[in-house]
Amino acid sequence: MSAVNTIIIDGLALALPLLVIAIGGIFSERSGIINLALEGLLGFGAFCGALFAYSCVAFHWFAPDSLAPMYLSFIVAAAGGALFAVIHAMLCVKFRANQVISGVVINILSVAMTGFLTSQINKTVFSGPSSRFDLMTAPRLTVPVLSKIPVLGAVFTRFYPFEVLILILLVVFWFILYRTRFGIHVRAAGDNPQALDAAGIEVSRVRFVAVLISGALAGIGGMCFAYSIFSYFSGAIYLGYGYLAIAALIFGNWKIMPTFAACLLFGFAQSGASQLVLLLKVNSSVGDLAMIVPYALTLILLAFFSKHNRAPRSLGEIYDKSKR
Amino acid sequence: MPDTDVIVEMRHITKRFPGIVANDDISLQIHTGEIFAFAGENGAGKSTLMSMLFGMYQPDEGEIWVRGKRVDISSPNEAVALGISMVHQHFKLVRNYTVAENIVLGIEPVTRLLGLIPYVNMRPVNKAVRELSERYGLEVDPTSVIEDLPVSTQQRVEILKMLYREAEILIFDEPTAMLTPQEISYLLDIIRKLREDGKTIILITHKLEEIKQVADRCAILNHGKLIATMDVATSSTRDMASKMVGREVIFEIDKTPARPGPVVLEVSDLTVENEHGVDVTQDVSFQIHAGEIFAIAGVAGSGQVELADAVAGLSPVKTGAVLLEGRDITRMLVRPRTLKGVSYIPEDRQDVGLILDFLLEDNLASKSYFKAPFSQHSILHKDAFDAYADDLIRRYDIRCSSGALTLTRSMSGGNQQKAIVAREVEQDARLMIFVQPTRGLDIGAILAIRRRMIEERDKGRAILLVSLELDEILAVADTIGVMFAGRMLKVAPADQMTREEVGEYMMGVKHA
Ligand SMILES: Nc1ncnc2c1ncn2[C@@H]1O[C@H](COP(=O)(O)OP(=O)(O)OP(=O)(O)O)[C@@H](O)[C@H]1O
Ligand SMILES: [Mg+2]
Repeated sequence: MSAVNTIIIDGLALALPLLVIAIGGIFSERSGIINLALEGLLGFGAFCGALFAYSCVAFHWFAPDSLAPMYLSFIVAAAGGALFAVIHAMLCVKFRANQVISGVVINILSVAMTGFLTSQINKTVFSGPSSRFDLMTAPRLTVPVLSKIPVLGAVFTRFYPFEVLILILLVVFWFILYRTRFGIHVRAAGDNPQALDAAGIEVSRVRFVAVLISGALAGIGGMCFAYSIFSYFSGAIYLGYGYLAIAALIFGNWKIMPTFAACLLFGFAQSGASQLVLLLKVNSSVGDLAMIVPYALTLILLAFFSKHNRAPRSLGEIYDKSKR
Repeated sequence: MPDTDVIVEMRHITKRFPGIVANDDISLQIHTGEIFAFAGENGAGKSTLMSMLFGMYQPDEGEIWVRGKRVDISSPNEAVALGISMVHQHFKLVRNYTVAENIVLGIEPVTRLLGLIPYVNMRPVNKAVRELSERYGLEVDPTSVIEDLPVSTQQRVEILKMLYREAEILIFDEPTAMLTPQEISYLLDIIRKLREDGKTIILITHKLEEIKQVADRCAILNHGKLIATMDVATSSTRDMASKMVGREVIFEIDKTPARPGPVVLEVSDLTVENEHGVDVTQDVSFQIHAGEIFAIAGVAGSGQVELADAVAGLSPVKTGAVLLEGRDITRMLVRPRTLKGVSYIPEDRQDVGLILDFLLEDNLASKSYFKAPFSQHSILHKDAFDAYADDLIRRYDIRCSSGALTLTRSMSGGNQQKAIVAREVEQDARLMIFVQPTRGLDIGAILAIRRRMIEERDKGRAILLVSLELDEILAVADTIGVMFAGRMLKVAPADQMTREEVGEYMMGVKHA
């Protein structure tokens, strides 16, 4: 397989999970709630999904080679992410806490909690001293004819099933944000919540639901990483991809399609850098440097593109009905 | 209810805020199909009273009856259900949405894609809004985006919003405060048209002239109490004004001829561009002497505000020079300018003039907090802030619920303006720039500010006044400069120009 193919295949495998997390972030932030908690949400979602899939195997709920646990684990991960996001939603919407602090605290809480629970559950339920839940490796699919197209064929080669799922989610959530009543209310809540309130829509409800969506989508993203990069769940899942998703949605100007482009850029930057390291045959400690490429890119882009960006006007503002 | 004609009745309404009774035992009746006006000093409680009718606040005591039924209006939603709508002092529009999207916000019509998936279909809305707009002559394009529209159009969007929701009772809170004279008469026409259509209109305004022009009856509030309900046809504006203030109002302003001293401000060939790179003033030159009020007249958007911003140092100068007492200050930052003796009352009081979430005392000291007695060795002295604020509140008659410690946001619009005026006048500056200083103020406060300008002039200060109101300019100016499309068309002593002449220059009809 050529290096270009590998760059495309690996790039998409990273970009699409980033995208689904970022879409979640967009929902939250377009509704006016800063969401730095994506990292913690994706971790907790993945923890729930992995615990479920691991239990399926350990307790023989399904046939040994069934793919059902994997597919179902994505639903569980979404539910887990949404559940954890309730904390952020409660703090920010109901108790009007500072949204940045709430996000950061949730991230710390998520790392500590999943670490503790993983080893405790392993010890007591599965009677093993492990600090991780091992998962099967996700199958990779290849479309017969299309994959033979030069270069572009790589898009249809050796992709994970969840990449298809994410593309479907992309269409669905784009439609929700721009074409449905709920989406209109979300975007209005982030621009001028007073106007939405005056129009008779409960701002806090809209924001609450938007934050839950961000949790669910982040959970799905986290589960993707558990099945692709790792094939297990452990504290290693907290790689900073939640923050990278935030960077992507900011470059994407809080819009879904431009954010997709930003995610692709990050994905290809990383896979391109690792291919480069391979080609140059440098040793692995230098190779780890490739991992910093997306982050370095973030810094550089941040410096150049920030001034063209416009955050939702009421982002981070605590909505107070009586304010005038 | 015997009187079927009464659409809204308020009985013994009282509303308290911490430290203040905003409405005190108010009872009144409003009839179907009339234009009912509210007048009263800043902070008299007009907005509060109408906010209760619109469900934003609940009365502490008293009852509201609508169409003969007692109602508890606990949210704007319920008000809308009763056919009551309100255009606020600050518009409630989503700025990156189109006109039509704003109008249907909350009641978006849903169509099913493939008979299955619900989505919002804007096409019928655009059509309906366009028809509605044409019917009332509002001239609004449903597909334009709010942030691209001027204030006056945004206001008509708010009106459309009410009409689209089939409101019967329309409340306008100071709708003319932000408008130019031309836009005002346009709006008053619209309001008349609404009445012909059978709507009931409640109009809060400070401009007694407007009440005289359109209203049928007028309620006067003072310190939260209802003073009188008057038939507009049989009362003069002078009556209304004295009821409003609680004493005889003297409209005339004593003004002796100016005794100009040396030149304080010299602006030469000033060109300023806006953020889009368009020149908004072109080669403007003029001088202001000590002891002179130089007023710039012009229709809104003629470049006068940008000119004032540039002189104050808020926006960069493209070419030309600004000299203060002979010193070039063209590129000087705002703080040194302030210290050199420039004070500034900006047009946008909420965004530029004040920090709304600060206390009143902090706002009053926000141009001098770094100096003694407020700050010594970089440590702030709260006592000095308190004492200073108490003094200004008393001398400038700023009405606020908790004195120096009032949250600025909670103050009424007019009193926010008074706070800015107090702060700037106290700067003791050589050059004072006033941009629309009396906008949103009650008649008493307006006269006080105009008298203050003349007083400061007599102390030998140079005053630059930018106003959209010709009356104001003619009342105080010593010299009038008329701007049109970014150019200073004419500069002449005030006593050598008639109102008509100034008007002609303003419209660009006449050239020097
Ligand atoms: N939410 C609030 N919290 C505290 N005080 C308030 C609040 N709203 C209004 N007030 C106070 O109630 C009084 C009446 O205010 P209101 O806004 O009704 O005055 P107004 O007649 O509309 O004045 P203006 O002409 O300046 O707009 C003011 O003293 C104001 O400071
Ligand atoms: Mg008011």
